[in-house]
Amino acid sequence: MSEVNTRQAAGAWRNAINAIVRHRVAATIGFLIIFPWLVPYHTLAINILIWGLFALGFNLLYGYAGLLSFGHAALLGVGSYGCGIVIVHWGWPWYVAILCGTAFASAVACVIGFLAIRTRGIYFSMVTLALAECVYYIFYKWESVTGGENGLRGINVSTINLAGFEINFLDPVNKYYVMLGVVAIALWLFSRILASPFGAVLETIRENDSRAAACGYNVANTKLMAFVLSGAFCGVAGALRALHLSTVPVEVMQISTSGDVVMMALLGGFGTFFGPFIGAAVFQLFGDALTLWTTHWQLYLGATFIVFVLFFPRGIWGSILHWLRVAKP
Amino acid sequence: MSDILVAEGVGKKFGGFVALKEVSVRFARDKLAAIIGPNGAGKSTFFNVISGAFPASSGRVSFEGHDITGLPPHEYARRGIAKSFQITNVFPQLSAHENVRVAAQMQKTRYNLWTPRAAIRELIEEADQLLERVGIAGKRHAVARDLAHGEQRCLEIAMALACKPRLLLLDEPTAGMSPEETVKMMDLIVWLAAERTVILVEHKMKLVMGICQQLVVLHHGELLAQGTPDDIRANDEVRRVYLGQGKH
Amino acid sequence: MTEVSALMLNITLDLLLLQIVTGIALGAVYVLVALGLSLIFGMLAVVNFAHGAFFMVGAYMGVWLFTQTGNFWVCLVLVPLGVGAIGLLTERILVRPLYGRGIDYPLLLTFGLSYIFVEVVRMMFGLNGIPFSTPQGLTGAVDLGFGHFPRYRLFLIGATAAIVTALYMFIEKTSYGLIIRAGARDPEIVRVLGIDISKIWLVVFGIGTGIAGLSGILAAPLQSVTPEMGISLLADAFVVTVVGGMGSLKGAVVAGVLVGVVVSLTSLVSPEAGRVSIFILMAVVLLVRPQGLFGRTGALG
Repeated sequence: MSEVNTRQAAGAWRNAINAIVRHRVAATIGFLIIFPWLVPYHTLAINILIWGLFALGFNLLYGYAGLLSFGHAALLGVGSYGCGIVIVHWGWPWYVAILCGTAFASAVACVIGFLAIRTRGIYFSMVTLALAECVYYIFYKWESVTGGENGLRGINVSTINLAGFEINFLDPVNKYYVMLGVVAIALWLFSRILASPFGAVLETIRENDSRAAACGYNVANTKLMAFVLSGAFCGVAGALRALHLSTVPVEVMQISTSGDVVMMALLGGFGTFFGPFIGAAVFQLFGDALTLWTTHWQLYLGATFIVFVLFFPRGIWGSILHWLRVAKP
Repeated sequence: MSDILVAEGVGKKFGGFVALKEVSVRFARDKLAAIIGPNGAGKSTFFNVISGAFPASSGRVSFEGHDITGLPPHEYARRGIAKSFQITNVFPQLSAHENVRVAAQMQKTRYNLWTPRAAIRELIEEADQLLERVGIAGKRHAVARDLAHGEQRCLEIAMALACKPRLLLLDEPTAGMSPEETVKMMDLIVWLAAERTVILVEHKMKLVMGICQQLVVLHHGELLAQGTPDDIRANDEVRRVYLGQGKH
Repeated sequence: MTEVSALMLNITLDLLLLQIVTGIALGAVYVLVALGLSLIFGMLAVVNFAHGAFFMVGAYMGVWLFTQTGNFWVCLVLVPLGVGAIGLLTERILVRPLYGRGIDYPLLLTFGLSYIFVEVVRMMFGLNGIPFSTPQGLTGAVDLGFGHFPRYRLFLIGATAAIVTALYMFIEKTSYGLIIRAGARDPEIVRVLGIDISKIWLVVFGIGTGIAGLSGILAAPLQSVTPEMGISLLADAFVVTVVGGMGSLKGAVVAGVLVGVVVSLTSLVSPEAGRVSIFILMAVVLLVRPQGLFGRTGALG
């Protein structure tokens, strides 16, 4: 009965949000299609698209499986390097490079995950942070392959051939929509995973891992798989970023990147499908606006972090869903 | 092999404290057995050791003739041992139905990343039937956290049943329940025991005397007596340490 | 190959001993930072992700106080008090509302806080590093019999030993320490005894961050003081804590020295290997003994 009342009170909003939640892939892609025309300039839209995908991959691990990684900078970075290295050193085509970045990030996620899942809770966050720092250091010093301190330069993809059409990849609008194609596939796969039986196991591990084990699920294996899958999505984001920037700055692997993605997921809402993109958009737009009038944007970033942890732990999208009491699909 | 679960010389130490000393018990297949004893007798410790919640310090436990001592918790479930915990242990933010469905899912698929859950009808129906059986079908969509205590215990039993166990272990299933809920739970347990072996830990001896075929009495971490309810009633030592305290 | 073998031949026993002492001095900083981290975790079950930032604030507070007073010893006393005071405010205002809301929230909050600390320091002292010269009376080197060793590093080892001893005496021998130990085991019991546990949490957070600040000023003469100096240190401190065992003070001390010596010895082969070696050490510990050298099993959650 109360459900009916709430629906009447919240009216059309609730129905609209409900529809978005039910058709989450279509709604997200639809939003991303019109998105470049909603922001000040197109390059910003590309950034948000990539960071949104990165936050989505992070969210698989924390939002759904409850594992708080502070080492995702390494996965994004390795995805970027994997994509960039095969283009710079071997001249492989861009779509193969994306797959290489994804595979490389998944492999590194497998190693980090294998060590990190041996610990639980807060320990997990500490171990992932430390291992990511190790990966950063190795790439920083491995100059012959990664370009070291200067980063990897010369990932030049100026035109791409798509089904017989030559597309000017330097044009931000073209670049955005090509990348959106990749992101759309990732979103669809992501949604399938969440809706699958495995997706259900992830949630049981977040909720109560000893109970999941008592049901017969191998918790360690499931966590490792979640880590590798998360690494794969972050790897795609990293690869796209390398194509976008034509370079891989080594700083991307620093701890602050891991913090940024946690922040974006927190802003949007942990454990929500659409949240990471909202978080990435707010983070980037906010950062972009702030840099116009202050060099101390980190101050405001930290303050926002604290305000959200204290007062809006559900994040923007998560709070909207909560206020309108939208049931999870 | 008519014994389903055999504990041989099982002991457990916590630091210097000996919680359990050399307990050897054989549980018969398809019987309802109860582990009883006063507070601090080591019932829960014994339960946790035979259910694999923590490893024994000494001795071994075998299930259907295979040594299961020290296996990881998920192996217990896969071999056909399900348990319900003393502290209610469900997936708090998932719906009652999803709690049972995900437990049932284990028997069918573990690492399926592709098929939508909604498309696997048989698991959904199985979960519905189990919720019906334990009497909380009306709370199908309720989030587990919001269920009443008794309902959560029933949910847990439905989850345990979803694992299709040959051996069901229940730790104080009626703890914290109202008298009406307790009666319902005991009826449910008798029904459960008709199809599989059930071992339960119970503090209140009176509750289990009438329904059990086998009783195991622990006292100060040691096996005091075991046998049929009649044997136990006739046992002077049990009378002295246990029944004597519990007189009305 | 010839380069490597020539290097091996050059490693004499004296050099090895000297390198070990260097490692202990390096480890001294790790010990102090990990000690504060473990103390706070053992008591509050909070991982302070701003711990590196407190370390950095300690170094800057030392720089500033030194220009004001010109006396290193005064700084050594005032810095831990100042940083500890910031720690007290942090616990009281920001961390306390989060108790009971899951272990991840204090972690996220302190991470956000570290951004603020770093940025505020940048605003006050600029982006560039500030050199902090070795205090008078501690300059020069001491002959240890197998080589000359910087006097300041020797002082650092001594100071760390003194702090560790003082902390040990405080926790093991005083009635206040008894309450802290009891509270770390079971907060409920302490509450039942009529002791205000939140006051103890406050004090422990203050002590932990105070030690972080103190280690900041102690480490300042060894390196350039920069706003980012706490960031890589945080990763190192986590390695030490994971190796030693979370919440174990003994673990923090042993693992701190161990990590310092391992870094120092592998640096003999190559400086790059030095930094990677500590992560390998952590990986080995995770594989063999995931709870850490002195951690209790079951304390992982």
